[in-house]
Amino acid sequence: MTRNAEAALLIAAAVLAALGVAMVNFASGIGFDAQVALTFLVFVLSFGGVHLALRRWAPTANPYLFPIAAFLAAIGFIEVYRLDRDLAALQRWSLLVAAALAAFILFLLRDEGVAALRRYRYIFLLLAIGLLLLPLLPESWPLYGAEVFGSRLWVRVDLPFGDRTLSFQPGEVAKLLLTVFLASYLADRHLALATPRKIGRLSVPEPRQLFPVLVAAGASFLVLIYQRDLGASLLLFALFIGMMYVATARSAYLISGATLVAAGGVVAYQMFDHVQRRVFAWLHPFEDFTDTGYQIAQSLFALGSGSLTGSGLGLGRPDLIPAAATDFVFAAVGEEMGFAGSVAVITAYALLVAAGFGIALRARDVFRKFLAAGLTLVIGIQAFLIIAGVTRLLPVTGITLPFMSYGGSSLLANMVLISLLARISHGERT
Amino acid sequence: MPALFLNLLKLIFIVLIYLFLWQIGRSIGAHIGPAASSRPTKRVNELVVVRSDTLSGLRFPVGAGITIGRSSDADVVVDDPYASEYHFRIAVHNGSAVLSDLGSTNGTYVNGRRLTVPINLGKGDSVQIGNTIFEVR
Repeated sequence: MTRNAEAALLIAAAVLAALGVAMVNFASGIGFDAQVALTFLVFVLSFGGVHLALRRWAPTANPYLFPIAAFLAAIGFIEVYRLDRDLAALQRWSLLVAAALAAFILFLLRDEGVAALRRYRYIFLLLAIGLLLLPLLPESWPLYGAEVFGSRLWVRVDLPFGDRTLSFQPGEVAKLLLTVFLASYLADRHLALATPRKIGRLSVPEPRQLFPVLVAAGASFLVLIYQRDLGASLLLFALFIGMMYVATARSAYLISGATLVAAGGVVAYQMFDHVQRRVFAWLHPFEDFTDTGYQIAQSLFALGSGSLTGSGLGLGRPDLIPAAATDFVFAAVGEEMGFAGSVAVITAYALLVAAGFGIALRARDVFRKFLAAGLTLVIGIQAFLIIAGVTRLLPVTGITLPFMSYGGSSLLANMVLISLLARISHGERT
Repeated sequence: MPALFLNLLKLIFIVLIYLFLWQIGRSIGAHIGPAASSRPTKRVNELVVVRSDTLSGLRFPVGAGITIGRSSDADVVVDDPYASEYHFRIAVHNGSAVLSDLGSTNGTYVNGRRLTVPINLGKGDSVQIGNTIFEVR
């Protein structure tokens, strides 16, 4: 019965996407064209395919995960389409591939479920480290790293036919592999990590319990130094601290984590000029309006001019915001759908996170619990970091907004993430 | 006129968005709400034989743990050709009863699904081995 509700919601999301595209067309005087039908078709095909895979291989999975993902993808797609039709066409392909991969994951895990992943944790760890290092490959190799906007997190392959280049961000997949590794590692160790040592009435964590925290902090800092990627660095560290806290229920990890972030932030500020620029743009976006502050200032203008209900789809100027289709897609939504639209987006993320933690609470064993909590944290932290950056609550960290930002690697990784969550929720006791 | 129409369209779209989220939010409450793990579970007391050739209607207290099988050493001896010597065990820890299959040949079915990993039992669950069906009370 709930699967039917899922099907209805997925079709509704496809209708929303098509309606949005039609409105953009109407606003720019094109009227109905093939794009409307094409968008509807691609959404129905991709999410319908995943839906069938769920019916076949995980029939009791939580039926609301993919509808929320479809909703976010629809809202994001409308803005991407509105900004750049070529990107939108590519995004449709990415969606099809990502959905196929999500269905394939459900097929792969059909018998044992995610428990199968627990055994291969060191392989996943090595793969994740390898993927994180991949963008450092020299430019002369057939598979090479590339620097975009000062961050080195892209890998490119020149395809033999035509002049096409395939690029992807291996870090997007690495974060999934790391989550699986952490869940598996903590499932074996969480009891040892949770036992405190008492000094008088004060319980203090043992030094060896804090060791993994320091390792994680070090690794995140290395990502920051070599890839100059503030967002991925923060995401990895927050994910790690979050999972330690989930596994041990000890606030000592949160406190030591926050202290390390603060200390690391100060050190990073002293050491790197790109961090200094980000912080300066955050504190004084209008001081250096034409240069460092331009992006965040445009984002604030967009959010402000959006007002309560927005300018209407296709009627604002989100094209003025640099990276509006990727990192700053939330500002584009804020301009054209207003405060109402932005709140809807945040609500959708909140629902997704709530559903994810619900799955973690009811999962059958600790590994599944930790994995579900970790995957949920990945979505939640990403959404929080970039929305906070766009709205100037925090310095901009340059991370994609899950499901909404233009970008194949991100969409792929997040669809796989949701399919893992769905698979964990299959067979839970209600 | 088109401006008015566009404005109307914009508002309709926002209303549709919220209708969609409302649908999900309303139904998701049941899925998020008090989780099974934190739900006060009713204590499992006994196994009642619902269907069997020889044991029908008998009740077996679960206590701290109980082993079911064809062997005469099992706590509950079932006379069922499809049961293994030691078929499954129910162990009680901190008030929750966990059923694990003891490597039986023909498997243990809880609520009709074959068990692959140990599972938490609740009142009302049915446990089937071979032709014998128990109910958890």
